[in-house]
Order: sequence, then structure tokens, then C-alpha cells
Amino acid sequence: MEMTERLEDTARELGERVRPQIENAKRRLSSMNESMTDYIKENPGKCLVGALAVGYLIGKLASRRG
Amino acid sequence: MESGETTRNGRSTGENGSATLGKRVDQVSHTAEQAWSKTRDAISSVDVKGRVRRNPYGSMAAAVGIGYVLGGGIFTPLTARIVGLGLRFGMRLALLPLLKQELFELAEGFGGEEVSESSKPRRVSKTTTTDENKGR
Repeated sequence: MEMTERLEDTARELGERVRPQIENAKRRLSSMNESMTDYIKENPGKCLVGALAVGYLIGKLASRRG
Repeated sequence: MESGETTRNGRSTGENGSATLGKRVDQVSHTAEQAWSKTRDAISSVDVKGRVRRNPYGSMAAAVGIGYVLGGGIFTPLTARIVGLGLRFGMRLALLPLLKQELFELAEGFGGEEVSESSKPRRVSKTTTTDENKGR
């Protein structure tokens, strides 16, 4: 019984320690996502041309290696 | 043909030559303008901005894909790998639930038969074994 209680306590402590970090990471990721989508919406031409260029380069590299 | 002085090889000379050159330049600029206006119309009809606003990541992925195809990466081992991985993943996602269901049904059917039939043969076997023992 004591062992299980100890294990539960340690799991609880770990959860309490890790939870804020996970929340922080979530917040950061969501803010990054928002900023990225905003940038793409503000500059669609730039982003499309950049994406095309990136795809072209990847295709070129793949065809060279192949 | 145009009237004007021409040499043996058919090239025009002097003012006429510059005039034809000017005409050609005009023609080229006119066709370029037409092409530009057509492409603008095509782009506006596709509504690229609206699409990008509605689905930014999807449009970026589509642009990367188009670039990849234009870069000549379609018939390469990398594409084969990506397609193979996608097919495997998709097959797993699509087939696993079906397989699970089939297996569960099979197991249930098998288990039910075993439970219903297991009581009878065991008794028979027990009696046979006891009979055999008696015979021995």
C-alpha cells in the first residue's frame, strides 16, 4: 500500500512539474502558428513563390541524387 | 512580301529594315501585353489570394508540390519512398479497423463454439478415458 501511495505521489509531483511546461509549449506553438498564418495571409505572393522555389530545389536535388 | 530594297539573301536594308524591326518589336510587345493580361485574368479567376487566406498551409503545400514536379523530382527514388510510406500508412489506417473487427468477430464465433461444444466432448472424452482405463 505504501509503495503504491508513494508511486502515486511521485506521479502527481511529476505531472505538476511537467504540466506548466507543456502548457507553455502549447501556447508558444499556437502563437507561432498564428503568426505564420498571418504572415502567409498578408504576403500570399511571396510565400507562394518561396514555396514553389523550395519545392523546385527539392525536386532538383532529388533528381540529381536519383 | 513588303516593298523595299532587299539583298540576295532576303534581308531588308536601310530604313525599311528599321521599320520592319520596329513593327516586330511592336508585335512582340503587343503579344507580351496580351499574355500578361491573360495570365492576370487567369490568376484573378483562380482567386489565389482567397485560397491562400482560406487555407494557408494547404496552398503552401500545393506550391511546394508543384515546384517539386517542375524541378523534375517526380520519377525519383525519393518520390517512390514518399509514395510507398504514404500507401503503407494509408493502408494501415484503412485496413486496421476492418481487420480488428473481423478478428473480433472470428474470435467471438470461435470462442462461442468452443464454449458450447467444449462441455460435451470433454465429458465424452472423460467417459472414454474412464472406459479405456476400465478395459485395461
